[in-house]
Amino acid sequence: MTEILTEASAAEILVSVFLVISGVFGLVGSFGLLKLDNTMARLHAPTKATTLGVGGILIASMLYFLLFEGTLSFHELLITIFLFLTAPVVAHFIAKAHIHRHESPDSTPPTGCARPWATFETDEMREAVEAAERGEAATSEARLKAERG
Amino acid sequence: MEATSDMLPLIVALPFLGALLPGIVIRAGRDTCTWFTLFPTALALLMLLLHAPGVMAGEVYHWRLDWLPGLGLDANFFLDGLGLLFAGLILGIGLLIILYARFYLSKNDPMGQFFTYLLLFQGAMVGIVLSDNILLLLIFWELTSLSSFLLIGYWNHLPEGRQGARMALAVTGMGGLAMIGGMLILGEIAGSYDISVILQHKDAIQASDWYLPALLLILLGCFTKSAQFPFHFWLPHAMAAPTPVSAYLHSATMVKAGLFLMARLWPVLSGTPEWFYIVATTGLITMVIAAVIALFKDDLKGLLAFSTVSHLGLITMLLGFGTEAAALVAVFHIINHASFKAALFMTAGIVDHEAHTRDIKRLGGLRHLMPVTFVIATITALSMAGIPPLNGFISKEMMLKETTYAAWAGNPWLVPALATFGALFSVAYSFRYIWHVFMGPVRDDYPARPHDPGFGMWAGPALLAAIVVGIGVAPFVVEPFVNVVAGAVTGAPQDTHLKLWHGVNAALFMSIAAILGGALLLASHRALEAGWLRAGPPAAKAIFDAIVGAATRAARGLTDGLHDGSLTRFSAIFVVTVTLAGAIAWSTGEIGAPSRATLPIAIVPLIATVLLVGATLCLVAFHRNRLLALVLIGVVGLTVAVGFAYFSAPDLAMTQLSVEVVTIILLLLALNFLPRETPRESSGARRLRDGVLAVAGGGAVAALAYAMMTRDFALPSISSYHLANSYKGGGGTNVVNVILVDFRGFDTYGEIIVLGIAALVIFALTQTVLRGAGGRFLESQGRPGGEAGDRHPLMMVVATRVMMPMALMVGVYIFLRGHNEPGGGFIAGLIVAIALLMQYMASGFAWAEARQRVPYHSTIALGVLIATATGIGAWFNGVPFLTSAHDYFTVPGIAELHLSTAVAFDVGVFLTVLGAVMLALWSLSRMARRTGEPVNVEPMDVNPAADAASSREG
Repeated sequence: MTEILTEASAAEILVSVFLVISGVFGLVGSFGLLKLDNTMARLHAPTKATTLGVGGILIASMLYFLLFEGTLSFHELLITIFLFLTAPVVAHFIAKAHIHRHESPDSTPPTGCARPWATFETDEMREAVEAAERGEAATSEARLKAERG
Repeated sequence: MEATSDMLPLIVALPFLGALLPGIVIRAGRDTCTWFTLFPTALALLMLLLHAPGVMAGEVYHWRLDWLPGLGLDANFFLDGLGLLFAGLILGIGLLIILYARFYLSKNDPMGQFFTYLLLFQGAMVGIVLSDNILLLLIFWELTSLSSFLLIGYWNHLPEGRQGARMALAVTGMGGLAMIGGMLILGEIAGSYDISVILQHKDAIQASDWYLPALLLILLGCFTKSAQFPFHFWLPHAMAAPTPVSAYLHSATMVKAGLFLMARLWPVLSGTPEWFYIVATTGLITMVIAAVIALFKDDLKGLLAFSTVSHLGLITMLLGFGTEAAALVAVFHIINHASFKAALFMTAGIVDHEAHTRDIKRLGGLRHLMPVTFVIATITALSMAGIPPLNGFISKEMMLKETTYAAWAGNPWLVPALATFGALFSVAYSFRYIWHVFMGPVRDDYPARPHDPGFGMWAGPALLAAIVVGIGVAPFVVEPFVNVVAGAVTGAPQDTHLKLWHGVNAALFMSIAAILGGALLLASHRALEAGWLRAGPPAAKAIFDAIVGAATRAARGLTDGLHDGSLTRFSAIFVVTVTLAGAIAWSTGEIGAPSRATLPIAIVPLIATVLLVGATLCLVAFHRNRLLALVLIGVVGLTVAVGFAYFSAPDLAMTQLSVEVVTIILLLLALNFLPRETPRESSGARRLRDGVLAVAGGGAVAALAYAMMTRDFALPSISSYHLANSYKGGGGTNVVNVILVDFRGFDTYGEIIVLGIAALVIFALTQTVLRGAGGRFLESQGRPGGEAGDRHPLMMVVATRVMMPMALMVGVYIFLRGHNEPGGGFIAGLIVAIALLMQYMASGFAWAEARQRVPYHSTIALGVLIATATGIGAWFNGVPFLTSAHDYFTVPGIAELHLSTAVAFDVGVFLTVLGAVMLALWSLSRMARRTGEPVNVEPMDVNPAADAASSREG
């Protein structure tokens, strides 16, 4: 009797730990969303902390069904996949929108090369660069052939 | 005597079936086309004549089919003497007209079209005269209006043709509307819509308070159709039609329909003072006025048109007298008039065809040039004038004799005197037709050199002229037939002896006076015409146009006032109307006490409510920022979806979610073409007014919902039936889906068709905009500046590619479980649409479109076709349209499978929804491309794979 109880308690404790972890991350994420002072910083709170928080709940749910109901539940995995796919895309677009509304090519950090950040590069600029690269490749290839020949 | 004949519906159906042929076989040549038009007519005539011996022996043939018994509308036909006469005229003269038209129509006229219209019209006319159900008769009646519109407007390149056709349709169509009312009253009084039953209720009908309204309404229909004063004006304008049409419509058929109906209902409607004063007076006035006008018409067909109106007035007057003898004369004159008038119209057409003019002032002396036409025209015109020994003389004598018995308001002289006066003018214009066209010296200024036409063209009128002489010389040949028909009209057996010579009596003197006076009138025509032109009679067309114009302006004013394209005004009127109607209903009706306890406020609904109300208030505050407004609408939509899930409506929740996603994406696309901010356009007072209206409307709806939800339904709801029968009857446990695809499958069927049409309309609209000024505007606008680079980011593209198969899988899954669990074709369609939408969003429209193989138009069409085929499949099972069949199958390895035909129907729904959504999206995206949006070849702008590939190549 006591054995079963302790066993059950261990499982319960395990599930509870994940629930608490998820709660903490969720809370931190929400707090960060309120507290951080600019959009780029605030972006991290929901996309990273809260995603982890939701992940915790999903692990807890899977464990619960495995330990208490004896079934393996795959729904949580699906949710995880969708979350991992959507969260970065959304964050990317929010960041992009923010840069275009509030930043300029000059205010963003340097890229370390002649080209600007992709989001500031117009189609014409990119095509010009790509054409130049292709041209370079072609000429170097020709030079190589010439040397061999 | 009664008998059943299965041929009756065939006689009616043959011309309609035949109407399908000419349009097709015209490719095989004009002669073949004519043969294929003659054939159904001849066959119908043959079948009709097979009944003639029986009808002559007093037999009445019936054929009955319950069509819509609930409405009293049954496909019942019957054939008696009257029906035989009219159907014989319609089909017999129809044969001659078809032959004549073959040679009359020029090479440029689309002959197949003409014969199709002609057969449609013929079928409708035969339908009128053989119907034994007044509602069925009404249908054929309106069909004649429609098909005659097509015939009169056949030369639609001529403005007169179009105007004449519109006028004929407006006048006869309105008369038809009035007649519907009259017929319904008549049917209600008699307790049946069957003519044969109505005819036996004379006393009940004439004693009813509703007799006069019914009579007036029915007569309105008859008078407009038969061109009686003051509705006579449309007929001359209908002369813009090709001559075969005029000859057919105005001698034997269309205008006789009114007379036919008066004759048909004669036993129940006639015999009252109302009948006499309305019908006989109208007929008399029409006869005299039209005869006078006819004399001063220079257009050959105009002259004949007014003479037709005049003779129709004569027959109407005879029917109006209400005596059996007068009805017999009316019948006899119908036969005679049809024979000589059809021939006259055809000779007028021949003259027009050969001399290229119908203006009497430019004709004359044609007797030497066109001897055959001259003989035919002279015989028939003399018959019209009432000269012995032709058939027109006999019926005119008998008519004049009948007038001497008619006392108008106690005055025995009035009717005979006016009738003689009308006959006098009738003689004058008949003589003029001969004298001014054929007599006199040969002129040398005809527009074309006239000569007799080929045999095919004069064969028809010649046959009719022979009949004219035959009946005149030997009236006893048609005597039994006239007696049978008159017996059918009056409902009592007739035995009148028809003879050429009636002895010296009052009618003979009246006749002689008319002939002498008519000759005198013609002699002094020039002087009379000058006086007529000075008097300047009112032009009916101007009056008609003024009335139509005023009606159009009034209608347009009303429509523009209520619905001027301003959405604000439209919805304001709608809200006010509905709220007021609700308020009136609320204050006049009564409502029981609340019978349901209100639930305690739980935390989840409270949060949802706060969200809804908050989002709505924010929307009011920030609606000018369109993007923000869209986000707020999204909040409302998602909250509602959660609400559905909370209240155990998973199907609705799923639908709401997917609809929400699709709508927001489409709206985002549309936002591309709108300014970011809605400009402030309305004044403060107006905003206040709109606010008050909105609060009143919303408050009323909320109050109504509250009242409904705190009370039980007064009647048991249908839900329990659906729950009980869903599995048993529809083979599914998901009641919502079973309702959609089974119980109310026909609704769904209609809805997917509407959805498909809506998508096609969006496509058509954007297509029009793009081709027209809108497209040029978009092009001139160009792209707005400051767009982001890297429009197709790597992460988004890869994510959507990964999601695509998963989303499709979810779609399939949702579809398959639909019949038993939440899901179904509609939701699956939306999900698959979203899966495709993601590709469009990630890599751009052009890129995705280049990879799409099936056009969305076909997807829509295929969906509707599959749904239709499923529905029709039920017929082969011997059950009504869309009844589903279901059974259980065991698929080894998977599970027991429950298949229902409803699944196939659901596939149709799925495809239509998918196609409609994608077509709408595609249409909008085409507008974006018109502004010059760059088209990418690569799926993404920064493509490491491409870089890697190029470096490998390097």
